[in-house]
Amino acid sequence: MAAPLRSRAPRARREPRLAPILAALLVPLLLVLAACGPSSVVPTPPPDATSSTGPATTATPAAATSTPAPTFPLTLTDDEGTAVAVPSKPQRIVSLTPAATETLFAIGAGDRVVAKVEDIAAYPPEAGDLPVVATFEGVDVEQIVALEADLVVAGGLFFTPPDAITQLRGLGIPVIVLYAESVEQALAGIQAIGDAAGASEAAATLVASMRADFDAIAAATAGLDRPVTFYELDATSKIYTVPAGSLYAEMLELAGADPVTTDDSYEISLEELLAADPEVILLGDDADYTTAADVAARPGWGDITAVREGNVIPVEDYVLVTRPGPRLADGLRALVEALHPEALD
Amino acid sequence: MSPGSAILATRAGSAGRSGLARRPVAVAVAGLALLAVALVAGIAAGSVTIPPGDTLGILGRRLLGLDIAPTWAATSETIVIDLRLPRVLTAMVVGGGLAVAGAAFQGILRNPLADPYVLGTASGAALGAAVAVLIPVRALVLEFGLLHGLAFLGALGAVFVVYRLSRVGASSPMTSLLLTGYAVSSLLAAGLAMAMYLSGAGLRQIFSYLLGGFDASSWGRLAVAAPLIALASLGIILRARALNGMLLGEEAASHLGVDVRRERAILLALASLATAAAVAVSGLIGFVGLVAPHVVRLMVGPNARVVLPLAAILGASLMVGADLAARLLGEIPVGVVTAVIGAPFFLALLRRARTGYEL
Amino acid sequence: MIAVDGVTVLYRDRAALRDVALRIDPGERVAVIGPNGAGKSTLLRAVAGLLRPAAGTVELGGQRIDRLDRQAVARRLAVVPQLPTLPFATTVEEVVALGRLPHEHPVRGMRPVDRAAVAAAVDRVGLGHLLGRDARELSLGERQLVLVAMAVAQAAPVLILDEPTVHLDLRHQVEVMELIADLNARDGTTILAVLHDVGLAAHFFPRLVLLDRGRVVADGPPSEVLAPDRIREVFGVDPALVRLGA
Repeated sequence: MAAPLRSRAPRARREPRLAPILAALLVPLLLVLAACGPSSVVPTPPPDATSSTGPATTATPAAATSTPAPTFPLTLTDDEGTAVAVPSKPQRIVSLTPAATETLFAIGAGDRVVAKVEDIAAYPPEAGDLPVVATFEGVDVEQIVALEADLVVAGGLFFTPPDAITQLRGLGIPVIVLYAESVEQALAGIQAIGDAAGASEAAATLVASMRADFDAIAAATAGLDRPVTFYELDATSKIYTVPAGSLYAEMLELAGADPVTTDDSYEISLEELLAADPEVILLGDDADYTTAADVAARPGWGDITAVREGNVIPVEDYVLVTRPGPRLADGLRALVEALHPEALD
Repeated sequence: MSPGSAILATRAGSAGRSGLARRPVAVAVAGLALLAVALVAGIAAGSVTIPPGDTLGILGRRLLGLDIAPTWAATSETIVIDLRLPRVLTAMVVGGGLAVAGAAFQGILRNPLADPYVLGTASGAALGAAVAVLIPVRALVLEFGLLHGLAFLGALGAVFVVYRLSRVGASSPMTSLLLTGYAVSSLLAAGLAMAMYLSGAGLRQIFSYLLGGFDASSWGRLAVAAPLIALASLGIILRARALNGMLLGEEAASHLGVDVRRERAILLALASLATAAAVAVSGLIGFVGLVAPHVVRLMVGPNARVVLPLAAILGASLMVGADLAARLLGEIPVGVVTAVIGAPFFLALLRRARTGYEL
Repeated sequence: MIAVDGVTVLYRDRAALRDVALRIDPGERVAVIGPNGAGKSTLLRAVAGLLRPAAGTVELGGQRIDRLDRQAVARRLAVVPQLPTLPFATTVEEVVALGRLPHEHPVRGMRPVDRAAVAAAVDRVGLGHLLGRDARELSLGERQLVLVAMAVAQAAPVLILDEPTVHLDLRHQVEVMELIADLNARDGTTILAVLHDVGLAAHFFPRLVLLDRGRVVADGPPSEVLAPDRIREVFGVDPALVRLGA
């Protein structure tokens, strides 16, 4: 060691406190913030799934209370509780969720959609040629601006990055943020898209027919046995399944299942799964990658009742099960097909 | 030739190396030119192609007030003025601030491996952001969400805790700060892992914050972050004397007229403030704050009075350039670019510094 | 003038200095000697205002040192520290320039007068041939000289040195001692040095202060302080082994 040993002195003085210094630095900032005015502060209540059972729209004209077709300009409240003003009937719509893309085409607004999010299901085919302005990696805000979008439909619960939503709104582009934690919220979302796009009546018609579909399927499964069902989202490394209170769980219940659910995360341990001992395992992961034989071969899974009795069933159209668009009832039908094929005859 | 004149000749020869007055000016000019090029390229490039003539026209009309009749689409103007300009300026301010903060942390801790995140700012900010994702509140204040607010407070809170804990029974304040920073960071990282586990669909949001980036920049956010970062950086630059004194250790610094404890506390607060504001607005972007000060020291020596402003210029250029590269490569995370550029560079630096950092 | 009055310094429960009194007039040249652990370095640190005594006061030019700010102290009192570490590559010139920190302009930094002082200090210590070298690559002895040059550049009326010769060979030891004597004689710089080498101290310093277990046990010219009985008692060695330069 180069330096000779040195003895250390006892601390001569108290260390100055960091807090007052930080406070001194922060107070001017807070004053600046305060001077900027509370008008820019927009507190929004937390999203509340249960309250959005009806069409989540309030038209600016008072007359809109009874008519289902609001007139522009209108202001509607999205699923995050944000009041979004749409000044005129949108002509250049950007869809940032696959469900919104499907919905817009289903209600006859497809010709006004100018760009969309990447969609693994590539549906509807008419949307195939639209430019893709959002992927899992992010949203291309520049492209949306260049396309002169006058309405953006985005996904909530972090599906669309919140920063991108803030940025688009900052540029004066109306963005409605939708998500679905229940079938009712999914239907309300379809109506909201219709209202925002100026196609309320078509949306109302679609919602009514979907509601009829749901009622019919629910009636068909009402009296059936409800097998304990594990819906596998993915099990390549950890095991992921549906959280309680989610759209997933509700869909499974409507299809006549007693779903194994998790509390708040999607992850479930093998022990918990074995303890639940499902009678049916539905494979909601891609059938190209996971088969019933794969499941039986996993260590520890062989003792599960569903595996022993051969009730490991891939779900056709698993994408639809949680896509809160016009084909949601088809998703439900796919679940029933897997669980109770006889019920739909 | 007498021995005396030989010594004089050597001194005259070495004056070129030590010419403290001339060389920094040249480096500063080169750095500013580099920054200007990076800024222009950053404004010109993007996912939407805007002809360079239009870009110049838009900038001339909107920034310089030139009387140019628009021959371009209104959206081009929005893209240049409201998307690209705030983006490159945010990258510039954040890069400069992180470089100054990094130089300050290296000087305070007398450790060349220190960076702006070493005392827990990164893990504190990350935990703050992750916790924000778990809280279902969508409030915006000055275009900043809860995520940015908690990231900012998390960064400052972590440093504050590290500073307080490091003073308990410490015989060597600098080593104690470093080790406490490491311990607290580890603890916060555990909290982050827990928050990520609980975050469900928000995981992507946390992850995107951890990777950092400038794609969410706006004038509103820049207007809040830039004054904080700039003032904190300026405060550090004005305390270059204290950082110079600490070059020889805190006891020598005291002998050279530096009130070490006071200056260390102020410098830590300023560097942490600049870092916290930077990470709140852009997420965690590594290597710029570590590498920029070292590059400058290699060119002009360790004098903080020169190193700090030059590091700001270089850090700004590096960050704008890294963001540009990230965009051209298809919006990959900026942190990936800075790491890919910075890590090999840093290895080369370590090889070059053959005596290590112990005298 | 340095006035140490009744100073007691405690390290946890142990007294490193007990009731030490010392008066050094401007222009004096004083060496502090004593066995390991006698409190020599502690005395220097107390005089430099780096630690607060449990009792007693230290005055510098009639003002209590704990009431002066560090910069005011640094302008009056330069210290050659024991070898520190350098975190970054630093040239000899850059280290010597640190001596101007107490004087330089708060914003502009070094001014021509500061550069002149650095050049003069470099010349005086004879470091011209090392100017552009990284101080971390020098020999221990060379580094010691760089630190002396830094303190010279500080241009304070009082110069304090803590073991300035430990890493030096005999020739460099003598050179440093002669430099110190020259600073004292020509510039009137007050010198207070801790020295291990009793012989060197006796040869180059007209006044010695002998510390033992935290107390001043003798203070005066070398011939008085280094009385054979005292050497045997304090250092525990045969007085014949201590070669007295005078």
